[in-house]
Amino acid sequence: MQLKNIPGCSAGLSLVKSKVARRRLIAASCALLGTTAARSQDAGGGTADAATAAWAVDSALAYYHESGRITAIEPIVNVSKEFADGKTFSAQVVFDSLSGSTPNGALPSTRPQTFASPSGKTLSGTPTTYTTSSGQLVSESAPIYSINPGQLPMDPHYHDQRLALSGDWGWPLTRLLTASAGGKLSYEHDFFSVSANAGIARDFNEKNTTLSFQLNDEFDSLRPIGGAPVAGSDYALFQKGGGKSKDGVGAMLGLTQVISRRWLTELNLSIDRFKGYLNDPYKIISIIDGAGNTTGYLYERRPDTRTRKSLYWENRTAWGRVSAALSLRYMTDDWRVRSDTAQIHVRWWNFDRDRFLEPTVRWYRQSAADFYTPWLDSTAAQIGYASSDSRLGAFQAVTYGLKYGAKLDDADLQTSSQFSIRLEYYQQTPDHRQSAPGALQGLDLYPGLKAILLQVGWKF
Amino acid sequence: MSIKWANLVLFAAAAALTAGCSSLGVKPWQRNVLARGDMQLNAEPLTAAVDDHMYFSKEASSGGRGFAGGGCGCN
Repeated sequence: MQLKNIPGCSAGLSLVKSKVARRRLIAASCALLGTTAARSQDAGGGTADAATAAWAVDSALAYYHESGRITAIEPIVNVSKEFADGKTFSAQVVFDSLSGSTPNGALPSTRPQTFASPSGKTLSGTPTTYTTSSGQLVSESAPIYSINPGQLPMDPHYHDQRLALSGDWGWPLTRLLTASAGGKLSYEHDFFSVSANAGIARDFNEKNTTLSFQLNDEFDSLRPIGGAPVAGSDYALFQKGGGKSKDGVGAMLGLTQVISRRWLTELNLSIDRFKGYLNDPYKIISIIDGAGNTTGYLYERRPDTRTRKSLYWENRTAWGRVSAALSLRYMTDDWRVRSDTAQIHVRWWNFDRDRFLEPTVRWYRQSAADFYTPWLDSTAAQIGYASSDSRLGAFQAVTYGLKYGAKLDDADLQTSSQFSIRLEYYQQTPDHRQSAPGALQGLDLYPGLKAILLQVGWKF
Repeated sequence: MSIKWANLVLFAAAAALTAGCSSLGVKPWQRNVLARGDMQLNAEPLTAAVDDHMYFSKEASSGGRGFAGGGCGCN
């Protein structure tokens, strides 16, 4: 392993005025972080931070677009450092901006349908007048939207922004024992989440085996636009209250094992339990009569607890200029969702080992939650838990992706950076479609989902 | 099976697995391939973060390689 010794940022800064923008950014980042940018270059063509490396910066800009639905822009910056005494630190900032149309849970119909956006208080298009607590008379027009016959009902006014911060620390307690701690904050205008985690890892067998255990505690506060609806209530009555919350705890037991010089494997067993308000406050369900006509809508109602268990197995191997990662996951929960996930990445380096291509395939399958139903029967005597959220239905999904990466060495600044770009295509195909009554036959009740993801990344 | 028995079985399985793993592995001077950047378990953390967020908001499953949740009101 060849370690490049890097001069200090003050030396780097003397060069930046006459150099290209990339150098300026590197130097500026060094100045901001008050340190140098050291990298190690290994025989295999990849880059890994040396034990005494300074700050490493990893950044990405992701563009996500669903056909006919949501578009999201997501910049991410991560900075990390490995200290000479074995301590590690990383921090990450994520910003999301989403806009577009999102399904509200109702079914298509042969007749036009009218809905109110979450802030609406009536399905009537006429302005409503009310008196505020301060005695002021206010007149508001209802933010309603209409859906043409045969179209999937979607709220066209969806927009959201999210800012998430996270930090993780690790420090050796002994030569073989390492402790870790971390936390996350996430803020949206209708959602706030805070979580903390702590863990411990112990090496065995000349550091070929590592056993780890982690705990996580999360608290979420929800302030839905227009208030949180009463679960299972009539949509037309607009029975909404204030904010809601949920909290969860999780534990994960991990085993990492070096099998051979070219094979590393990891096995994780995890469990988490959430309780509180687990509904999607913006999702409703159509009530359908025997002829297939929509007679009304109810807000969805999910159980207020959920326990998930998952088993995750990842393998990594490398041969010459090729490396591969294969992961498998099985998940089950007490909502009776079962899922299987398989994903493989294969990375091919060129002869000089400064560029690579990485195709990816992911396959996913899940069964439906036991309370999932695309619609409710108008003759049902009693409505228990029910949700028409397609994310809780049975479906399969595939992802095809291709990533290209190139290492960019700068002899003057003695730095090495890596540029990457990847494009992925994601498609969901619903399973176990129920036969629809009467007028609903012939309508596309299970439209599935198609999306693309474009991500550019740069790390140095 | 009671929780006590489940814990005992889990502990025994972990102990057996750890004992079995003691015959696997490499010497410190044989780690050149394992030290490659693309052989690290979290080799591309930002790619993993973007993927996790996408799948978390579109599917009923999440987590596995780390803790799920942690901030998204979309599911």
